[in-house]
Amino acid sequence: MNALRFYGFNLMPYPFIPPTAEFESTWVSLSNKHYEPERGRQLYNEYIDQLVAAERYGFDGIGVNEHHANFYGTMPSPNIIAAMLIQRTKHIPIGVIGNAIPLHGNPLRVAEEVAMLDVISGGRIISGFVRGIGCEYFNNGVAPGDSVERFFEAHDLIIKAWTDEGPFTWQGDHFYVPNVNPIPRPIQDPHPPIWIPGQGSLETLQFIAKHKYTYMMVFAPQWFTKLAFDGLREECKLLGYEAPKSMFNAAVPAYVAETDEQAHREAKAHLSWIYNTGLKIPDQIFFPPGYMTQKSFRNFMSALNKGKVKKQAQLTYDEMIKDRYIIVGSPETVRNQIGEYCDDVGAGGIIFGGGGIGPMPNWMVMKGMQIFSEEVMPEFREADGKPDYLRDEPPAPQTYSETAARIGRPPEAARSIVSGSDELIDHRVAHLPEVIDASLEASSNAKPKASAG
Amino acid sequence: MSYIDAVEKTEVPHPPKYYTAPSFEEVCGIPIAYRRQGEGEATVFMHGAGFTRRWLPMYEMLAENVDLIAPESPGFGETPMPSWFRDFSDLSIIYDQLFTQLGLDQIHLIGYSMGGWAASEFAAYYPRRLKSLTLIVPVGLRLEDNPGVDLFQLGPEELMDRLFNDKKVMVEFMEGMDDFDEGIHLYSEFSAAARLMWAPRYNLALERRLQRLTCPSMVVRAEDDHLIPNEMAEKFAATLPNSRLVQIPETGHEPCLERPKELVNEIAGFISEVSK
Repeated sequence: MNALRFYGFNLMPYPFIPPTAEFESTWVSLSNKHYEPERGRQLYNEYIDQLVAAERYGFDGIGVNEHHANFYGTMPSPNIIAAMLIQRTKHIPIGVIGNAIPLHGNPLRVAEEVAMLDVISGGRIISGFVRGIGCEYFNNGVAPGDSVERFFEAHDLIIKAWTDEGPFTWQGDHFYVPNVNPIPRPIQDPHPPIWIPGQGSLETLQFIAKHKYTYMMVFAPQWFTKLAFDGLREECKLLGYEAPKSMFNAAVPAYVAETDEQAHREAKAHLSWIYNTGLKIPDQIFFPPGYMTQKSFRNFMSALNKGKVKKQAQLTYDEMIKDRYIIVGSPETVRNQIGEYCDDVGAGGIIFGGGGIGPMPNWMVMKGMQIFSEEVMPEFREADGKPDYLRDEPPAPQTYSETAARIGRPPEAARSIVSGSDELIDHRVAHLPEVIDASLEASSNAKPKASAG
Repeated sequence: MSYIDAVEKTEVPHPPKYYTAPSFEEVCGIPIAYRRQGEGEATVFMHGAGFTRRWLPMYEMLAENVDLIAPESPGFGETPMPSWFRDFSDLSIIYDQLFTQLGLDQIHLIGYSMGGWAASEFAAYYPRRLKSLTLIVPVGLRLEDNPGVDLFQLGPEELMDRLFNDKKVMVEFMEGMDDFDEGIHLYSEFSAAARLMWAPRYNLALERRLQRLTCPSMVVRAEDDHLIPNEMAEKFAATLPNSRLVQIPETGHEPCLERPKELVNEIAGFISEVSK
């Protein structure tokens, strides 16, 4: 197994907006009149190209996520992008990290879509679940104060839908579904691996520890990621098990170029944009009332007041580098810093490392990705340089012949009664006249002769 | 979880001005904080989404005319909010029970802003409890072509700017409100407001249900409300079966704080007229 996994991720920002000083928030209130679909079309296709390219570069997985009414990440429906990625890649795992499950009227829709993706991709789906950040709650009728309860209940419903035989009735506090019977079911047994992105709240950590899910720390300084990871390790210990490194993924945008100087020149504007512009969000939009409990709100405001944390929109580039929100440099610098970082926090995976980020032009992303994959990744790999998934047994048959061999050939044929006959006819031969004739004859022989009068 | 989960009293910060210690009455497992003063007609005031924990000058003036009871709804002031508390129907039932326990049968009911919505809901459920209904710049009905600003998207400065037309009054009542603990408490109160009002910002059924009212009602509109469209008060007046509409000059969304004397004159006059 490799020492570290690298996941390509793309938020799919739309950066053609007025200068940051001219608006209050990149989320919720900045008008969609600034969105030009013609530019959007090009961006989407470039972003998808970058994620697809990650497979041939050698990444361990690629990821997409859900955000609404903002220019930081224009993927209100990540499952749609995942569906495209499935068609344009062959073996690489694809993470929807995640679907914002409290926002949906019926979480069963998410269970259905993710199961579809899992079946079509042959078990390549990683299923992430999130509450959605506070801003998302302005765009629908779900009260932010219901977010936590709805998250847990939607999660329980989706997992039960994937694992219990249907149909059954869901009688929840927030959701009632008279008939839960999702078709298809996922191909991975018992269901796709679950990832939970989070900001390190105790509630989230306890939930992950309880279910042995994989944690993904969202953008944060190194010290805070370490604090959260230590917290999760502690919660797992309390439940009597040692958390494996594979449970911990850190979101650390990393960019590599020929030299340190060149890397900073190329990355600075684009990485800064993500924090300073993409995450320019006033408090009342970031934390709508009820999104945080009074206790969490107090802890957060108190950390802000004491200068322990800084709003992302106010970080300077130097602070991002110093506190390791991001890693930028020559191949050697990036190898060393990623190594130090992951040893320190105990991460088994890095998300965003070497992928497209912010308004970075497509050609620059591709350049960075290639250098990253050739000069950074091998350091953290077995001698063969492969991502783990190419060494592991795939979660499901990858070819028809394998399916036939494993599931049995011929499988039970689809059969139905063809007009004029009482016999079940095998659909594979139902178009052959001799089969139809034989069937008609057989069924007329079997019938008692009609008596006259 | 049982329907009624008892909740404990919690420590809340005391605003520097007009704070008074409340009495408590345990209702449905919730210690409901309330303040009461004055003699005469039993009159209940339902607060808006803020300016809790105080015996406001307006209450003092009202209490010179009536027996004024000013309770604090779950999640506001010193009344804690249980997790089961969800909507205005929960609130109406809590208030009905509170009034019973306080020995109040028929009351005059006043509601300000969000409290106007609460009072309307209570009136629709318990019309026979009311001698009169007064709604001051209320919310809760749908104005088809004018949803107004999204209260929850407003930053603190813009919110204050829209709440107060008279900035001198704003300075007086916002004293000490930038305190850290007060900020945390206000987030909590806003969370309770969001629980009641996040979506939708109206109850369509109110338009039908308010037709059950037989008592006289009065709707007070501001001269120029920058938070809630002025048409809202007009629509309430048009909806209520036996109502009058009055306007307090030179006011925005805070007539209770900006022009308490003029407002109390109107209300006291109305209550005394319908009590004859």
